[in-house]
Amino acid sequence: MVKIVVPGEVISEAPKPTNFAFVENGKTYSSALALFDEVNFRLIPLEGAYIPNINDIVVGVISEVKFAGYTVDIKSPYMGFLPGKELRVELQLGDVVSAKVREVDEVKNIILSFPRKLIGGEILEILSVKVPRVIGKKNSMLDMIKEVTKSEILVGKNGRVWIKGGNSAVAAGAILKIEKEAHILGLTDRINAFLKEESKS
Amino acid sequence: MEKMKLIIDGKRLDGRDLSELRPIKIQAGILNKADGSAYIEWGKNKILAAVYGPRECIPHHEASPYRAVIHCRYSMAPFSSLEEHGRSGPSRRSMEISKVIREVFENVIITEQFPKTAIDIFIEILQADGGTRCAGITAAAVALANAGIPMKDLPCAVAAVKIDGQIGVDSAKLEDNFGEGDMPIAIATRKNELLLIQMDGMMSKEEFLKAISMAVEASSKINALQTQALRELYSTKIGEIGPEESD
Repeated sequence: MVKIVVPGEVISEAPKPTNFAFVENGKTYSSALALFDEVNFRLIPLEGAYIPNINDIVVGVISEVKFAGYTVDIKSPYMGFLPGKELRVELQLGDVVSAKVREVDEVKNIILSFPRKLIGGEILEILSVKVPRVIGKKNSMLDMIKEVTKSEILVGKNGRVWIKGGNSAVAAGAILKIEKEAHILGLTDRINAFLKEESKS
Repeated sequence: MEKMKLIIDGKRLDGRDLSELRPIKIQAGILNKADGSAYIEWGKNKILAAVYGPRECIPHHEASPYRAVIHCRYSMAPFSSLEEHGRSGPSRRSMEISKVIREVFENVIITEQFPKTAIDIFIEILQADGGTRCAGITAAAVALANAGIPMKDLPCAVAAVKIDGQIGVDSAKLEDNFGEGDMPIAIATRKNELLLIQMDGMMSKEEFLKAISMAVEASSKINALQTQALRELYSTKIGEIGPEESD
């Protein structure tokens, strides 16, 4: 059983700490607007900003060129910093890169590494909480979209999706449809039907 | 001048009982560019609430390395009421209300999760008819939940009022202006804690306690409407809700 819970709603009468929940006086409450999966006892948030974690792959835009590196806008309340020594080439303002989060400290200074400059293509912005659904179990959803559209797709954990080549309009449409309907059962089938329908025309 | 009668044949001016609320309609997620938003129609009040953030804190010197700071702006549109309200920018009154609303939300938002950031709450009164700060808090709580900001509770607010010597809830404009006292109360509904309490006028101790208990009773009705507004956003005609495979 899955239901929608609102902040402050009891999800268990016993203290069972989990993500997006808090424990008070021996009871567990949800702290966010989320889907509550009673079977696996987990909360899946429906909204929210992206907060970086170590080893996340993100898609960012260079927003400032500094002496020792670059400030990168990663669609988060916090800016990323990409040290210049990670790169052999120089980047410019507005360049799009994908990178891995190497370090996050307690005041959320974000250090990025393994940059890859993304040339051409287009960027789509979606809610970061929906990214796991765009990827799917063992990449299943993303593989399905790639197979039909023949596009090169890179999904950043921060909710930026880079699409290049192939039938990019259909790929973008499918990803936006996933974002909108992520919480409704039978998503894979609907996206499959959508891809078939759209790629015909 | 003869004193205005506010209760006639046991009913209030708009035909309500003492413990009856005005009709309330809440709609969540109605602004595209805001992270979270809500629109509330509470009697003749029409209020928009929008939430942005957590985002970069401007001005920078206000940012805290320990928690997110909350900025709140309550403002009345120039066309919102018959009186001087909102005629030109921020006033002593709207600055005070912004401050007390900010303090309501500082007590429920889990700000420690977002150091160095700011959460901006905007409450715009489009049409005013008494009890706008209460309706504003109720709408802003829905907008915050809609923005995905972690909170310990979904607060709501209602004003208690003393009219013709009797205590009621949800004061309309005339009761506010010509009654003997009105008391806006914001309540954290999970544990019925008081987050805001202000009073204009006079009440005895018994009346005060009765006002609080009536407001607490009414708050559960308001909270149900808030929850319903949030659920409606995701309820669907296509099929059952539920996550399937995800990594």
